[in-house]
Amino acid sequence: MNLSSMNVFRQLVSRAIRTDYLENMTGFAWLILQPLVLLAVYAFVFTTIFKARIPDAGAGGFVPYLAVAFWPWTAFSEAVLRSSNVVSANAALIGKVAFPSELLPLSAVSATFLMNMAGYLAVLVVLQLTGTPIHWFGVIAALPVLALLYVFASGLALFVSALQVFIRDVSQILPPLMTFWFFTTPILYSSSILPEQFATLMRFNPMSWYVARLRDFILLGNYGLSLNDLAVPVLTVLVLWGSLSFFRRFSAHFEDFL
Amino acid sequence: MEPLVRIKGVSKFYPRVHRPRERLRAFASLMTGKQVVAGAEVLHDISLEINAGQSFGIIGENGAGKSTLLKVLTRVISPSSGTVEVNARVAALLELGAGFQPEFSGIDNVRMKAALLGMSANHLDKHLDKILAFADIGDYVHEPVKHYSSGMVVRLGFAVVAASDPELLITDEVLAVGDESFQKKCIRWIEAFLEQGNTLLMVSHSMYLVQKLCRQALWLHEGRCRQIGDVFPVTQSYLAYHEERSAAESRHRRSLKGDGGLYRVSDFSLPGSTGEGDRVIAFGEDLDAELVLHSPDGRPPVALFGVMRADGTPVYGVASDHDAIEAKMLDDHHYGFRICFNTLPLLPGSYSIRGHAMDPQGIRLCDTAELRFTVSGESREMGIVRLPHRWNPGE
Repeated sequence: MNLSSMNVFRQLVSRAIRTDYLENMTGFAWLILQPLVLLAVYAFVFTTIFKARIPDAGAGGFVPYLAVAFWPWTAFSEAVLRSSNVVSANAALIGKVAFPSELLPLSAVSATFLMNMAGYLAVLVVLQLTGTPIHWFGVIAALPVLALLYVFASGLALFVSALQVFIRDVSQILPPLMTFWFFTTPILYSSSILPEQFATLMRFNPMSWYVARLRDFILLGNYGLSLNDLAVPVLTVLVLWGSLSFFRRFSAHFEDFL
Repeated sequence: MEPLVRIKGVSKFYPRVHRPRERLRAFASLMTGKQVVAGAEVLHDISLEINAGQSFGIIGENGAGKSTLLKVLTRVISPSSGTVEVNARVAALLELGAGFQPEFSGIDNVRMKAALLGMSANHLDKHLDKILAFADIGDYVHEPVKHYSSGMVVRLGFAVVAASDPELLITDEVLAVGDESFQKKCIRWIEAFLEQGNTLLMVSHSMYLVQKLCRQALWLHEGRCRQIGDVFPVTQSYLAYHEERSAAESRHRRSLKGDGGLYRVSDFSLPGSTGEGDRVIAFGEDLDAELVLHSPDGRPPVALFGVMRADGTPVYGVASDHDAIEAKMLDDHHYGFRICFNTLPLLPGSYSIRGHAMDPQGIRLCDTAELRFTVSGESREMGIVRLPHRWNPGE
């Protein structure tokens, strides 16, 4: 990316943040407050109403177990959903100005991640203050994992945003698909409570790996990695590469279909 | 020297994608690399070279493909076939509000547009005051663009483009929405821009603007290049085309006068024609016309000559009895008339001349013949004729 594309990218990100996040809230405070309110709701529902028990939840119990996985998932799923129609939404720009259009989904993903990561940090701080031991070295170790998750989201975003230009139904199909993905990823539960055959199946879900690593690092302080842990990063990079070539190949024809 | 812009054999085809099924079919043919069948070709085999320092006008009817050509040139869209090379820092102002997003304030959009034009944040900060002064829309810059009038959008858009220091400026019929004083400001700016050796490519429906700002012109007609070259001949034939079209539209309403009386035109010619086609005379040359009338009863008829613009606007008419001219008797039934318009003051363009046969009293119009001719030359004067004039020194 050259300097002027970088400039455009910055503008697009700041624009996305302002329209999607800051416009409807009274300033920056809400940005931190909203995830905390959400966390409180989940804590109430799952510990008081459902009395959820997780066998390997670690010291803090269910709420931190959920919180550490939930915010990265939200960032991921929101990023993909938001970018799905970002190309059509910016049809006016694409038809009138020459610029690398892959910046559109990338900026949507970046804005979503920036905002959700700010919320994530607030949640972790609150967990620490309410007595859950957070492994802060693990948080630093989790940064590359989160960066990979960002790359994964960018890859999928490029693919769906390009596909949506040609097949409009993508924006309708995607939300239920993401909900399905959410429930088939061990976020609300632990994969250890699943029957054997489901647990095996779930290993093919890359999001299981992300969720497990974040919990290992941040909650348990468990930094052990094996050769198996290479699979998802390699897949992530492949997804980005494939999606980027798909996007570039078809972006020349966007204007014909918008 | 390497040309600034070189496009070769560019065609642009838009597939039909209104219905979901058409979209799918078009997408499938993209995937498999096959040519789409249903659709419209808006540009066909256009080739063009523009050198540094040239100023090019693109003219043509609505839907001729002008905007599409500009989009291809600015790489907003890619052509279906052909190649496009542009070796310059381009600033383009395509359509109204190019790339402005209506919900954002003017100043936000200026920042975005500046980034898209490749301006660094530093460069923009330095030039921001200049941009706002040029746009001259006051406190409106802090309002969302959706509250702007179309003129204000163009003011702001042009101001940013002007500040981006381009080598090649591409504009699409945008000046037309600005008010008089802003148009003048833009024209002054473009003239200064051209004087510095920069290059201009503009689409306009105003032949006045095209002739004022451009040295070359390209006439697009139904996606094809109909004429390319010096601005004057191209704009003149374009205007003539329009005049003829509007004349053709009104022709069926206006039946030629003439009540089928006795006297007929037996021959009408413009001596001096070389070869086939219409007579072409240079601006300021003499025009001769020769009319032979047939008189069944042997009495000398009256001849009437009329000159009109190609769209039928009358310019001048004169009859032989006005000037008390005697016809030359050729034989018992034929009379010849010859008229010469000295140093014809018609401005360059397409015209026609009619020869009429009238009865000997000069009351009834019996028959008409029409010939076309073209006045060639270069002139920025406006109207139909050059009125004799003299500029007096001021007080």
